[in-house]
Amino acid sequence: MPYAIPDRPADVRERLFVPEAIRGVGIIMKQFLRNFFLQRDPNPDVLARRTPNATIQYPEEKQPYPPGYRGLHRLVPREDGRPRCVACYMCATACPAQCIYIEAGEVEGDPIEKYPTAFVIDELRCVVCGFCVEACPKDAIRMDTGLHAPPSYTRAEQLWDEKLLLRGPPVSYQQDPWLRRSAPGLEPAKVEAMRQAARPFAQGASDEYAHTPGFSVRALAAEAKARGE
Amino acid sequence: MLIFLVVFPFVLLGFAWAAYLAAGALAGLAVEAGLPASYGAAASNLLFLMVVFLMVSSSFLTIGERKWSALMQNRVGPNRIRILGNPLAGLPYLAADALKMLTKENIEPALRSRLLYELAPVVSFAPAFVLFAVVPVGPEALVGGQRVSLQVANPDAGLLYLFAIASLAVYGTSLAGWASNNKFALLGGVRASSQMISYEVSLGLSLVGAMMAYGTLRLDVMSLRQGDLLWGWLPALGVLLQPVGLVLFFTSAFAETKRAPFDLPEGESEIVGYFVEYPGMKFGMMMLAEFIEIVVLSGVTAAVFFGGWHPVLFEGWLRTNLQPVAFAAVCAACFLGKTLFLAWVQLAIRWTLPRFRFDQIQKLCWKMMFPAALLNVFVTGALVIADPSLEALAAVGLLELAALAGLTAAAARAAPAAAAQQPAHAATAPGH
Repeated sequence: MPYAIPDRPADVRERLFVPEAIRGVGIIMKQFLRNFFLQRDPNPDVLARRTPNATIQYPEEKQPYPPGYRGLHRLVPREDGRPRCVACYMCATACPAQCIYIEAGEVEGDPIEKYPTAFVIDELRCVVCGFCVEACPKDAIRMDTGLHAPPSYTRAEQLWDEKLLLRGPPVSYQQDPWLRRSAPGLEPAKVEAMRQAARPFAQGASDEYAHTPGFSVRALAAEAKARGE
Repeated sequence: MLIFLVVFPFVLLGFAWAAYLAAGALAGLAVEAGLPASYGAAASNLLFLMVVFLMVSSSFLTIGERKWSALMQNRVGPNRIRILGNPLAGLPYLAADALKMLTKENIEPALRSRLLYELAPVVSFAPAFVLFAVVPVGPEALVGGQRVSLQVANPDAGLLYLFAIASLAVYGTSLAGWASNNKFALLGGVRASSQMISYEVSLGLSLVGAMMAYGTLRLDVMSLRQGDLLWGWLPALGVLLQPVGLVLFFTSAFAETKRAPFDLPEGESEIVGYFVEYPGMKFGMMMLAEFIEIVVLSGVTAAVFFGGWHPVLFEGWLRTNLQPVAFAAVCAACFLGKTLFLAWVQLAIRWTLPRFRFDQIQKLCWKMMFPAALLNVFVTGALVIADPSLEALAAVGLLELAALAGLTAAAARAAPAAAAQQPAHAATAPGH
């Protein structure tokens, strides 16, 4: 908040320097003693710390990301360990940075189904816009890992292929075509198990796809409501 | 942290004790070799006080400056070098800094003045280093049949030696600025020389009062006489007899060390400083000289104004209940503790006050400190002649201290009041 500093000539006490200097050193000494004797509070929520120190020791301590943070991509797996991706090229088409490269292959013995034989994201070109996640009709690509692309010494290491990208808990939906009409690559018993675990068709907007693990927009909203905001 | 506070006094005590024993042993050896005993004691003190204490404490202060300033400013400070996962309060940075300084590429300006350029770091380092020779760290004690005290040299000229050598330091900085063939360095050197020569006047005058009060130039006698009791109970500390002298001396010596708030010769944000063209360890010597000056200044202040090696508290009890050598070691440890505390105070001041403008520096010196020092000399002289027992001087000094405390308290009270009044001031400002 801006405030006016009264423009008045310095009085004798201020022109002597010494009393004001002693007072300043007193304040500094108070800070010093407090920081010397109190253990630094490493709470990543800086405003909630007991000590006045605001430093976050980065690699050891990390600030929590806000909900909806877009991290490193991942390909969502199915229960049988293969990606949900059907190689439709929607994400590659939507990508403004053209960083997604997909080679489609046909599932053996199936006249319809495709899968990506190669799915490569160049994390150096990626602008982290999240359009690929929005474009995906199969919830096969997400940015909910909460990670950065790790640093590397070569550009080639920043090309993430489907083996690196495929991770996280498996997901199935009741509308998945390979569950509705089975698929040649899947055993019937396995398909039945997947059907049991499948989620119902999403009826409304959900915060589930985009958010960082450990965070929930809905939970935060509920907390805020409980606080009366 | 508490462990550190408990252990550290014992480290100082052990160091002082070892220094006494070594001084006694070397004095004995000197006598056996047919030399005066003081030669052996001086050699031992040179090793223990100047090479070990002065160098170690000043190089630790380079880390202390970073770590303590971090504590003062609610930061963390250097902690990335770790040994077995423990940052050790930043101490490994000592080794890292030394390694860095020693292995840096030697880049020198082409059109420098070769001889002066190479000479300048030495000329700025050496005076700061030899100043500590006259600082009396411990009292005289009988060790192994030899009377030794922890003081390297004990010239009759005492404080005059101090002034003489301290004024040599200006040559190092102005030579460094001049010989580098760099405008910024030259500007720093010119600033340094004008500032240091100005403040030498008030530096000298501020100690004249103490010289008159104790009737000596010798620092060891000055320390000894601060144990005299006024009115039978109050030790005649310099801070009680000469509070104005203390403030003036501390301030002018601060200006002599060229540290904030008097760091215009360095002025990192504007001209980098007189050492801008010095790479590696040449710069390191200038930086180390600055920290050595801090320790020396603390030592002289402690010796002249804070009772020297007198423990002040419980001194009579310690003197009667301890062995003479143990008592002397306790005294020396007290002195070292006072010195380090004053060094801490200097760092605190450095991190409290912003840099003066150059006209403010000269105004502070010539229009405030110089008249105040002169007045202090006259008042002290009159009081010492009027009452040679120093009790009148002490009474006036106590009054001055009370006035200073009152002004500081008033400053502390006025600050919140002024903050509270600010909206009112803002509202009435157009009317004034």
